[in-house]
Amino acid sequence: MVQNRKKLIDLFIGNISNSIVHKILEKAIDNKEIVNKYIKEQNVSLEIAKRYREKINPANTILPHRDVVYIKNRIKNKVKAELTLRISKGYKNINLELVEEMVNKVLKDTTIA
Amino acid sequence: MELVSKISKGTKMDQIYLPKNRRGFGIGEYVIVKPLETRKVIEKPFFYNIKHIEPIKTDIVMEILNIINNITDRYENIIITGSFLDEGFNFNDIDIIIVTEEKLNEKYIKKSIEDTIKIKTHIIILNNKVLIEGLSIDPLYQMMLSRCITKKRFIFKVKYKINYKILDLHLLKSKLLIDNFDYLNGNEKYYLTRNMIAIFLYIHHKKVNKEIVDKEIGKLFNIRDIQEIKQNILNKDKFLKVYKKIYNNIFNKIMENIKRGAE
Repeated sequence: MVQNRKKLIDLFIGNISNSIVHKILEKAIDNKEIVNKYIKEQNVSLEIAKRYREKINPANTILPHRDVVYIKNRIKNKVKAELTLRISKGYKNINLELVEEMVNKVLKDTTIA
Repeated sequence: MELVSKISKGTKMDQIYLPKNRRGFGIGEYVIVKPLETRKVIEKPFFYNIKHIEPIKTDIVMEILNIINNITDRYENIIITGSFLDEGFNFNDIDIIIVTEEKLNEKYIKKSIEDTIKIKTHIIILNNKVLIEGLSIDPLYQMMLSRCITKKRFIFKVKYKINYKILDLHLLKSKLLIDNFDYLNGNEKYYLTRNMIAIFLYIHHKKVNKEIVDKEIGKLFNIRDIQEIKQNILNKDKFLKVYKKIYNNIFNKIMENIKRGAE
């Protein structure tokens, strides 16, 4: 059961990180009209992450502090790694300063913290 | 002798009253009662690359077109697309694109349709410019619109402009399959694989439509029938090995081009 919870948390982290990377990359695209019209509708990671969140106990209140710290750090590292990989390959206009703010927001929205 | 009258509500039965002073319609005579207003005949929609569709789906499409038409006529076209048009009834919702230059009340249209047909819908309202732009830069839009039913004739000729940053965003979605293989159902796996292969074909300047993508999936993953993915009966190790290789290959190609574009 404990392992199952850990697996769910890991899956939540993976999907929510993907969703944040998606949001930051959206901001790096020049054609805002296209992004606004339909790219946003296709961000499925957040929906999958929410599905996992519902299965992590406590489902309706915030998680214990130890879990919050673990989840927050893992998400931040994952997002930064994914974005840094792109920057290292020559992708310009990625704003790494958005990471902290977006992670905090998403943790609040999903009642993790 | 014809008589126009209104049906009124009764306690046990509803009725139509006839005036006492009339010619004809004598007591005891049999009459035919039929509605005065017949259902508006809507012109036949256009089917693109649809070899087979269940008659009930055609009725649903007609109903949708009718509902939208009753709400507004300020549109250039209505396009029905997505998994609803696949054979069978294994679809989540009906994708409806309304092409218009006007600002329409999306929520009201959605509610009106869903209240009538009792099926979830996904409504996208966009103008012609965005639609054409989407078609020219997005392989998924091309794939989606390669198979559709439209209210009016739908012909598009677009210049392909590959936008690698947008492709990167689309490809990111398919990364989910690598970490969530055991937790995704067959349809989700199929959707993410199809997404990745559509991008693969697109960056190799190949035509993208559902049949071509399905065929390519079969070839690349050595799968005889695409149903193997949908039914979730894949060999995980074998499938993921090929999947990761293709994913990395596409990712590197996209990054090379983003870098080239930035220089």
